Amino acid sequence: MSDQPRILVVDDEPQLTRVLRTGLKSRGYDVRAAADGLAGFEAFNDWHPDLVITDLAMPNVDGLELCRRLRAISQVPIIVLSAKGEEKTKVEALDLGADDFVTKPFGIDELLARVRASLRRANAPPMNEATQSALDSGDFHVDLESREITVRGKPIHLTPKEFDLLVYFVKHSGKVLTHRTLLAAVWGGNYVEQNEYLRVFVGNLRKKIEPDAASPRYILTEPWIGYRFDPGER
Amino acid sequence: MWHMRRSILDHRWAGYVAAVLSVGLLTLVLKLNGAHVNAATVSVALLLNVLFVATRWGSWPALLAAIVAMLCFNFFFLPPFATFTIAATDNWVALLAFLVTAVTAGQLSARAKRRAEEAELGKREIERLYAELRDAFERASHAEALRQSEKLKSALLDAVTHDLRTPLTSIKASITTLLDELRGRTGEPPVALDAESRVEMMEVIDEESDRLSRFINGLIELARIEAGELQLRRRWGAVDEIISAALLRAEPITRNHRVELQVEKELPGVRVDERAVSEVVYTLLDNAAKFSPKGSTIRLIARRAGDELIQMAVEDDGPGIVKDLRERVFDKFFRATRDGDITTRQPTGTGMGLAIAKGIVEAHDGKIWIESREADRGTRVVFTLPIGDEDVEPERRSQQNIYV
Repeated sequence: MSDQPRILVVDDEPQLTRVLRTGLKSRGYDVRAAADGLAGFEAFNDWHPDLVITDLAMPNVDGLELCRRLRAISQVPIIVLSAKGEEKTKVEALDLGADDFVTKPFGIDELLARVRASLRRANAPPMNEATQSALDSGDFHVDLESREITVRGKPIHLTPKEFDLLVYFVKHSGKVLTHRTLLAAVWGGNYVEQNEYLRVFVGNLRKKIEPDAASPRYILTEPWIGYRFDPGER
Repeated sequence: MWHMRRSILDHRWAGYVAAVLSVGLLTLVLKLNGAHVNAATVSVALLLNVLFVATRWGSWPALLAAIVAMLCFNFFFLPPFATFTIAATDNWVALLAFLVTAVTAGQLSARAKRRAEEAELGKREIERLYAELRDAFERASHAEALRQSEKLKSALLDAVTHDLRTPLTSIKASITTLLDELRGRTGEPPVALDAESRVEMMEVIDEESDRLSRFINGLIELARIEAGELQLRRRWGAVDEIISAALLRAEPITRNHRVELQVEKELPGVRVDERAVSEVVYTLLDNAAKFSPKGSTIRLIARRAGDELIQMAVEDDGPGIVKDLRERVFDKFFRATRDGDITTRQPTGTGMGLAIAKGIVEAHDGKIWIESREADRGTRVVFTLPIGDEDVEPERRSQQNIYV
């Protein structure tokens, strides 16, 4: 067996799977394709890929159900392919545990960039809070014990909730985080509908950490979906 | 004019004036014929007058009319005349009886009039409420219809955008893969596309462009049919030529099936748009090939059905279409494989083929429908076409040629 990363492509559109198979193979990935969620799930169990790319609208078992089933048994990175207008389904997929999304029609570079980012995150050493006292990610250094943060070497002062939110962002760098996910993680399950909380705190965080809060480069907005944290250059 | 008269007659005092005037006038008339009338005739005539006033103006004018009539009766018709005194005792009784009868009859008829008016008012109120309710209902159902049609529109839009975006996605992904190789991005793993992959990408672009083009042509054709602008070029043609054209075009898609022809001998010519009818046959063959297993048989049948019709049918050995969906498959963008309960890995079409086929057949005054085959296996799509009139007037012919 080769040590090429394995990617499972699940889409009911044969032409697209043809293109993705060839495009991804040319970049050194090992690719298999499945035509629907059910076949995708079987292929996953059979082949144990490193990453799954799945369409959302498919016959039989759709992309959402596939995300649900995969998350029940695995932490494999999942990238969903969605169309404009499918925002609701997209958010649902991300809430169900998908890591990222690409909107159709997409250029192969965009997909490849998402694939690389997802694989990098998955291969990064796991962050274990119990044993880890500090997080280092890009421009950010977080001391979890003293609850101190420096950005580009400069210390910044955060309120406790702002600190929790930023730590969550740093721990999930690069991943699309839905409003719901962030609210549940930082404020708890009762607050998942309180988008305005999040907007206020993200606004405050940006003022404190961004060089220019009006055009943020760390906390990026994914319209209608949530946020994506980019820790900056390593 | 009528309104003016009405308004004067309806004036508050009109009843009283009319009561006095009418009794006076009647008395005058009766007096002029004095020789021929006796007291009984006079009393009945005056009573009638009271009744008239009562029904027209109600109880109070009627009461006034009764009193005036009583006075006139006494003054002019009961001896001694021209006095209010009465000589005979029985005349007193007659006068009293007249007064009581006049007042009672006047009150009763006035009440009856009031009742009638109230009833009329009630009826009008009911009619008004009914009209209001009906308007409200119409508005509501109009709004509902509008909402439904908006919903339908958005569902159709979803279907259309999906069908446009899907091939576009494959094209974009292929093109960017090819471009990446040409440009040789820096900082990325090197792209190694072999010749075969390159050809494959280009094939995908080619095929998907065709698919987009087919879809757009279908949309245009559907729009024409729906706008009633299907331009038929009817001329006399032979059924077997139409069939051959369709078979030739369908050859690449039916290559993996056995196509069996059952065409009746000596079929009459038909006056149809051959290209359009051939398109219908092609669509049915395409569907049959798509939705039945490779190696199975597709039957194409053409026969005469009565004096005026030609019937054609395409049968396959696929899974068939459940009864509930047999009409819906003719709706535009409806796909039994995707929108119905039929779950299959088979490819889906554009959802327009049968809708267009139906439009073409119906534009020829024909019919198209789906029949069960034995034991619900397979699909049999049947359509009929009128053979056409032998002697079409030259006028109509030239009119139709305008479109050619």
